[in-house]
Amino acid sequence: MYWSGLSAAANAAAAYQTGQTGYPVGHTPTGTYTTQRAAGSTYDTGYQTAAAAAATHSTAAGTYPSAAASATYDYGYGRTTQTAAAAAAAAYDSSKTYYAQPSTATAYTGADTHYHNKTAYTNAGAYTTTSRQTTPVVTPKTSYTSTYPGAAAAAATATYNTSPYAVQTTTANKATALPVYMQQTSQPATAVAAVKTPGNTWQTFKKQGTVPNKTQKPKAPPKPQQLHYCDVCKISCAGPQTYREHLEGQKHKKKEAAAKAGPTPSRHGASLRCELCDVTCTGADAYAAHIRGAKHQKVVKLHQKLGKPIPSTDPVVVGGTTKTSTTTAGTAVGAKTTTSGTTAAPTGTLAATTTTTTSDGKKDDLKEDLLDLKEKDVEPVGQEYIEEIKNEEGKVISFNCKLCECRFNDPNAKEMHMKGRRHRLQYKKKVNPELVVEVKPSLRQRKLQEEKLRRQQLREEMWRRREEERLLEEEERWYWEERRRYEEECEYLDWCRRYPRGPPGPPPMMPPGMPRPPFMPGMPPMMPMRRPDSSDDRHVLAKHAEIYPKEEELGAIQKIVSNTEKALKMVSDYLAEVDAPKEQHIKPKAKKEKEEVPKDDDDKKDGDKKEDGPPRMLKGVMRVGILAKGLLLRGDASVQLVVLCGDKPTRTLLDRVADNLPKQLAVVAPEDKYDIQRVVEEAALVVQNIGEQRISVNVTLTSPIMREQLLHDGDSQVTAVKDPPDVLDKQKCLDALAALRHAKWFQHTFPQARANGLQSCVMVIRILRDLCQRVPTWGPLNSWAMELMCEKVIASAGQHLSPGDALRRVFEALASGLLLPGSPGLLDPCEKDPIDAASPLSAQEREDITASAQHALRLIAFRQIHKVLGMDPIPPPKFQRGGRFTRKRRRDNSTGEGNDSEGGDGKKDKKEDEDSKMDMDKDTNSSKHLMVEGH
Amino acid sequence: MVMTRGRGRGMRGGMIRPMGPGPHFGPKMKQFVPRLPFDMVLCESAFPRVKAAPDESAFTQALLKRNADLSPTPAEQAAVLNLVTKIQAVMDNLIVDPGNFDACQIEEVRQVGSYKKGTMMTGHNVADIVVILKTLPTKEAVEALGKKVCDDLRAQEPQEVLVLTMLPNDRGFEISNSEATVRVLVTTIHQNLRKLDPELHLDQKILQSHLAAIRHSRWFEENAHHSTIKVLIRLLRDLRGRFEGFEPLSPWMLDLLAHYAILNNPSRQALPINSAFRRCLQLLAAGLFLPGSAGISDPCEGGNIRVHTAMTLEQQDLVCLTAQTLLRVLSHGGYKQILGLEGNSSIASEMSVWDGVVVSALEKAYEKPPERPPQDDDTDNMDADDDPMETTDN
Repeated sequence: MYWSGLSAAANAAAAYQTGQTGYPVGHTPTGTYTTQRAAGSTYDTGYQTAAAAAATHSTAAGTYPSAAASATYDYGYGRTTQTAAAAAAAAYDSSKTYYAQPSTATAYTGADTHYHNKTAYTNAGAYTTTSRQTTPVVTPKTSYTSTYPGAAAAAATATYNTSPYAVQTTTANKATALPVYMQQTSQPATAVAAVKTPGNTWQTFKKQGTVPNKTQKPKAPPKPQQLHYCDVCKISCAGPQTYREHLEGQKHKKKEAAAKAGPTPSRHGASLRCELCDVTCTGADAYAAHIRGAKHQKVVKLHQKLGKPIPSTDPVVVGGTTKTSTTTAGTAVGAKTTTSGTTAAPTGTLAATTTTTTSDGKKDDLKEDLLDLKEKDVEPVGQEYIEEIKNEEGKVISFNCKLCECRFNDPNAKEMHMKGRRHRLQYKKKVNPELVVEVKPSLRQRKLQEEKLRRQQLREEMWRRREEERLLEEEERWYWEERRRYEEECEYLDWCRRYPRGPPGPPPMMPPGMPRPPFMPGMPPMMPMRRPDSSDDRHVLAKHAEIYPKEEELGAIQKIVSNTEKALKMVSDYLAEVDAPKEQHIKPKAKKEKEEVPKDDDDKKDGDKKEDGPPRMLKGVMRVGILAKGLLLRGDASVQLVVLCGDKPTRTLLDRVADNLPKQLAVVAPEDKYDIQRVVEEAALVVQNIGEQRISVNVTLTSPIMREQLLHDGDSQVTAVKDPPDVLDKQKCLDALAALRHAKWFQHTFPQARANGLQSCVMVIRILRDLCQRVPTWGPLNSWAMELMCEKVIASAGQHLSPGDALRRVFEALASGLLLPGSPGLLDPCEKDPIDAASPLSAQEREDITASAQHALRLIAFRQIHKVLGMDPIPPPKFQRGGRFTRKRRRDNSTGEGNDSEGGDGKKDKKEDEDSKMDMDKDTNSSKHLMVEGH
Repeated sequence: MVMTRGRGRGMRGGMIRPMGPGPHFGPKMKQFVPRLPFDMVLCESAFPRVKAAPDESAFTQALLKRNADLSPTPAEQAAVLNLVTKIQAVMDNLIVDPGNFDACQIEEVRQVGSYKKGTMMTGHNVADIVVILKTLPTKEAVEALGKKVCDDLRAQEPQEVLVLTMLPNDRGFEISNSEATVRVLVTTIHQNLRKLDPELHLDQKILQSHLAAIRHSRWFEENAHHSTIKVLIRLLRDLRGRFEGFEPLSPWMLDLLAHYAILNNPSRQALPINSAFRRCLQLLAAGLFLPGSAGISDPCEGGNIRVHTAMTLEQQDLVCLTAQTLLRVLSHGGYKQILGLEGNSSIASEMSVWDGVVVSALEKAYEKPPERPPQDDDTDNMDADDDPMETTDN
């Protein structure tokens, strides 16, 4: 019910708690009459009923007249009386009361003792009113009753009037004896008072009590005079015509209405009144100015003419009692909040007696008040903010207060202004927050302040909510991120399971019949990155899909490579057969290449042969380069195989292989035609298919012996002599060996069975390969250096990188000068000596690649990755990506410390208030909703 | 590392909660996890040296010489110290005994900026003092304070009456004598910040930046007192002064960058000045201050604000490309030109040849997005010791 509403508004547990600490404080005094209250309801329900809207109130209204005291008792007097009044008069709509409630409620939750005191004070005030009012009620004046109907609203009010009044008159007699009880009963009376003149404070009544002749005046019909004198407006009219017009006029009606309702209460604690002109002045100075003023003089003259009595120029002090009660309330503040209820009551009685006494008492009051006004004579402040406006002659003609934005012509007025409350408030607000400005006990202001406090609290709450929401969102975000990664890896593993491949290790040697592993290790076609994140990722993935070879391309390459491999195997067999009987000149080396070992999982025939032991001339064929690494791109039409020979490969051997290979190829693939060329200078032969897709397979002959010799170059000079005369180009053979090592390194670094977070790396390498092919600047960067660099750079990130991030990191590394002179260089892990893998690059090439990478990095950073990748930009996906979220974060960022910086100008706030209130309500509601859902 | 906590990195785990897919977290997943760019120093182990590092003693000597040239002379230091001390004394007096001075109340007076940090440069003999007012900083109050301080100073030293000037501006006021200037930066206590009225008071952003300056100098005192850092800061500020492209870097960013470059390494030992200087360029070139980078989060602000977001995107681009070009020049041996010992600043914007290698300047990458305004709406992060500011006389 209402609690929920209240908690929605006051929501925050923290704020609420403070409010609760506030309750007991006020509650203690009410303990004295709990018994009475018990008749009504418990504290909480009582609170609720009182605080609820008119609808709820009507239920309580049944018990109202009888248990009126118990219904309005406890701490929320100020509030409850209001509600009571509102409900009874039915002037407020329910929503309004709803808003009114939280406002007071928040005032409490503010936990400011100050506010407790204030309510206590209200009480005292209300009390004074009613007790004073008893006088007119007991001895009713005609004037009094006549004013009544004008304001009395509903019939219900009438009934209220009677019963509480009855109670009150009786209690008023015993007032001093039973102050506590008295106070209670006074509550409903206040309610009635409020009903009578909604929106008016008790000062009205005081006015009526003290200056009855004033209120009587409107009753008396204006006597026709020679001078057409309007009593209400205190003016004379030239003739009957104008007089009538005046009476019809708005101005007059307003005045009349105002007079009926009683003079408007001054907002100040005490003010001076000119009885004659019915003008209220805020201070002695103002009053003096008025008396001196032309208007007053005119009225005086008029009255003299009419022979009307002219009251003395002594000011009538208005609100004197207010002052006293304020001060006592003030002392109550000093004393203790817990006792505020009880102290307030006696104060009320005291004040009541003062006012009900005769005129000498009043005079005392007056004197006191004048004294007070004098005492208030404060130091003027903010002199420096008052500009003097001079005319051409340099004479000061007026003053402009920059703080209050007002002007005066009179130096006196300026002085007064500087002492004035408004100015002081402005000064406090704009210059020195510590300036003490006397508290103004106006109901309106308090309401404003409460409203302000409530608003501020709401705002704070909203921020808290937002923050919470943000944190929650962020947390969930992480959760999903985590989960996405997990899924990704699962998928990857799944994929690997579907295409199993032997444990990573030395690749098997030439297994003709064995089902080959998928052609592209490392990355399944269209590796499922199901939820690509950033725009960079999406671009990289799209580009990757673009450069990844098509199925048929892969098929074609697969076919020619496996045919060549099979044929080479048969050539090997053939050569072994041919050589075996004749010569044993090739000694099996003690150090057989490891590649030989896997041979035994070949077919039995092969195994049998091996058992026989004749050393083969051709020991095995290996895939190297892009083929082995799975870095084929679309349009690649050249792959590499390496044949390891038992001894140093010679031209003779190359010829023998080249001669025999066509025959074997014909056996392996009778329906395909292949073209075979010898490229002696490359130590290779090239197998090319004849068809629409020209794919060439470079088969390079090499032998590990070449390198062994190199490694022991220093001490084994002798062996070099043994070289056959037609041995193939040494460097080419060594390159082939290096390619073999690189392939091994690659397969070891990027094993497929293990999702080691380097999937992105292979993708990036492919994309860089494409870049090297596309962009001339990057051409000189050899693929081995590039692969090595990518691996080092991406692996050193120490965290999983999405493809987009991985690519960016590579460019970052290059941009920070990885290739420039002075950098550590790329140590080649496949060489014994420390060698920079990128050593073939010239200084200028390094410089150019670096510059290009630097530009590319900035392109990526500024959302132009498509330019780097050489593709069209991909529009963002349809859904609004985190619009709300990012906005929120930015706001957080920008507000550093001044979150509450708004709320400066009260005027503007007020306008926005309604809207923002609605918004905030919606906001809190929705966020609540969200949180409920979230859990 | 301690100061490089990017938003949301590393602090997850234990976050898996049993919950269904929330309706609003489906498609719009996280977008932005800033990441630190490649940093050779941090992943040195992945890049073992192929050959021994080149000898850089000449470069180091040049750096030290440049620093010596940039440091203020003892006379300058004495002059500024003198003026600061006097003003501080006058202000302290005002705190203790305001007398009939009621235009404002001073809460606290603090020295900030390069003077406080010990990173002053020669020829720029300006010290900064932040005055925190208890009252609200109206323009009149600030001016009145300036007058009062100036009057008190004159009263103390009658012989200086002629040379002493006071100029109010929108940050506070400047008091200068013939040799030194003290910028008095006015701000107010936190509670007052929300009460500001732009018509009447100093700009809130400026006030906040002055409060930030206090935090900065405090942080500096605690974290960056290493003298290599001070040397590097001076060199970087000199670099910023000479190369237009570095203009957008605020002094605070340079402080943080220098601190980062020197101390943020695996061994936690201060890097030698030559490595640190090169690293600064490397970091900038690798995009430490580009969008999408974790950058350096401001240690003096909550909420992991990345300092470089105070620059517009265009400025970030400019800073990065300048650093990239200079890095290439440096690696080809052009340190003298970079340090300003030889040549001019054209190396950053024009082609140059080093040892037969042509080093070309780079072009901007940033393009203004066609329809949306650039997202450079991050807050300005002004620092106390900026360039000379325009003064308004009123």
